[in-house]
Amino acid sequence: MLEISELYQRFGDRVAVDKLSLAVNGGEIVGLVGRNGAGKTTTMRAVMGIYRPLGGSITWSGHPVALSDRLRFGYMPEERGLYPQMRVLDQIAYFARLHGVELAAARRDAQKWLTRLGLEGRELDLVVALSHGNQQRVQLAVALVYQPELLVLDEPFAGLDPSAVDSLSEVLRAETARGTAVLFSSHQLDLVERLCDRVVILDQGKVLASGTLDELRTRSPQRLRIKVAGSADWTANLKGVEVISKDPLGVLIAVTPGMDTQAVLRQAMAAGLVEEFGLETGGLVELYRQLVSN
Amino acid sequence: MNSLQSIRLIAGREISERLHGRATWILTGITTVGAVALIVGPTLFNMPTKPYAVGLVGPSAQTLAPTLRAAAKASGIGMTTMNVSDDATARSELTPTQTSGLGSGQGPLSSLRGGSATLDVALTLDTGSATIEFYQAVSPTLAAVLRAVVEEVHQRDVLTQAGVSPSVVGAAQTPEQISTVTLKPASSDLAGRRIAALAAGILLFFTLGIFGTAVASGVAQEKTSRTAEVLLAAVTPRDLMTGKVVGIGLMGFAQMAVTIAAALVANAIVQSSLVPSEVWVLLPAILLWFVLGYTLFAFGYAAAGAMVARQEEVQSVSAPFTVFLVGGYLLMYATIASPDAPWIRIASYVPPLMPALMPARLAVGQVAIWETPLAVLIMLASIYGMARLAGRIYATSLVRGGPRLSWLAALTR
Repeated sequence: MLEISELYQRFGDRVAVDKLSLAVNGGEIVGLVGRNGAGKTTTMRAVMGIYRPLGGSITWSGHPVALSDRLRFGYMPEERGLYPQMRVLDQIAYFARLHGVELAAARRDAQKWLTRLGLEGRELDLVVALSHGNQQRVQLAVALVYQPELLVLDEPFAGLDPSAVDSLSEVLRAETARGTAVLFSSHQLDLVERLCDRVVILDQGKVLASGTLDELRTRSPQRLRIKVAGSADWTANLKGVEVISKDPLGVLIAVTPGMDTQAVLRQAMAAGLVEEFGLETGGLVELYRQLVSN
Repeated sequence: MNSLQSIRLIAGREISERLHGRATWILTGITTVGAVALIVGPTLFNMPTKPYAVGLVGPSAQTLAPTLRAAAKASGIGMTTMNVSDDATARSELTPTQTSGLGSGQGPLSSLRGGSATLDVALTLDTGSATIEFYQAVSPTLAAVLRAVVEEVHQRDVLTQAGVSPSVVGAAQTPEQISTVTLKPASSDLAGRRIAALAAGILLFFTLGIFGTAVASGVAQEKTSRTAEVLLAAVTPRDLMTGKVVGIGLMGFAQMAVTIAAALVANAIVQSSLVPSEVWVLLPAILLWFVLGYTLFAFGYAAAGAMVARQEEVQSVSAPFTVFLVGGYLLMYATIASPDAPWIRIASYVPPLMPALMPARLAVGQVAIWETPLAVLIMLASIYGMARLAGRIYATSLVRGGPRLSWLAALTR
């Protein structure tokens, strides 16, 4: 298990991470979300030993993370880091060897991942000759080739087409099924919602919320969806109610503590035939917006 | 995966990348072909020195022909003599022309001279006087030989006419055995040693510059492409830097060895008289100072490469090392000119100048037996200090974003 406790990092006068704590268990995918500068990349770099944090601790299986542990961590940085003039297969095998894999096994495993990620036939190409998406696949292969116990992926889905996103999602699920712990960051909240077992929302270096998706959903604001046949503007007479949106699917109204939902229903019925009336729980997007805007 | 294994892998990748790159082969090809051409070219195209053509004007001068040729031979200069009928013809033969065959054209050289004169000098003897005539300039050695012969013949004639027997005259004109004693013998072949020192200095200047810059560029590339970030997750900054320095250094050493080996083979084949034997005597010193100098500079260049924000900044951030390299190169000329000057001896112990000055001092100066080990010890200590300093700068700068760091900022972080 990866455990980050009270992590603190500052660059000049700017505090990048402020007493941040989170944990990632084996076989679990944890998503880090937050706007730019929230502290996601700094946290991941600290885990990978690229920065030595000014405060806090990072442990793996109960002991402080050492270089020998990081040899079993797979890492995909936000900005891709590959040798542009190196052949694809050689590059993946090279990084495998740096993580302690023997030459023959490194080349065999590199070939296996190239095939699995749809890059068969590109083994002898220079990395620079590949498209952005394919370079991203090579970067992923570099992170996966030595069967890591922890995967740290910074924006792994950025710039990928839908089929590549599906392919990467499938790979991540397969890796967690093998027992790998996965920590990844993304701005694509729908993906995070779909893939992650737990989510950590960051802002200005601090954890705003964390938990499983169900736990977070309970904190998400509730909304009332009402569809009245033939009437588009029946909400004009509603007093003290926040209308979130209006569209052909109906009207979304924010549910606030002490709100009389039955009174709203009565007004809707007075306006016309009520085709739909029900409470909805907002998703991660709503929770994120609510937390970050506050 | 221990440190040594990491360094070996990183160095191996550097070597492999350079072996696959065209630049390496082009550079090796150019330096090798250049070195071979420098040795083979002059040997193939070097024409034997043309003997001086001396025109003897009139019967009196013409009787001196055998004596002149013997004197020239004794003085180590080549000479041919040609009989010229009168002064006007001699002047014509002394004047350079655009086409051959003007003048008498009697000598074997007339067909070779093309646009130059048939004669280098003309000698006329009259009663009581002699004239040495030339067009614009004459070799001082040739003039001295002519003057000596004319004076000798004149003395003999005067003494013979005064009744002195020819045997006595001959004995008087034969010099006694003259011995020379040199108080401070010069080097056996000072010119050769100077050429050797110059060759060593130029070779070291270019190889240290090329491969030092290669280290800085390689580090900058890893930084700007963010590859360093992935690498540092698996290796320490110190191992990464050392692996790069070792890999590029081995390639540099191999490229230099190929160039030197090609030059050695070419020299063995053509037996060039232009290559002094001292060049080969200096080889161990060249290789030693390449290894030491490269290691010192390469760590500095690695730190410089880690400080850039863009690849184009490599040259400007490496400027302090380039200044020392160029400074050492220029001081090498002063060292060759006066190798034992006190300030040169002191400068040759300044670590960044050592690779340029020590081989030059070894080649042309007086280097005490303890000086080289002392210089090597100072250099090793400097390399250790530079590696530690560069390691610190490298570790803090390599993954740092933002604009280029100044040296002061990098050192104080």
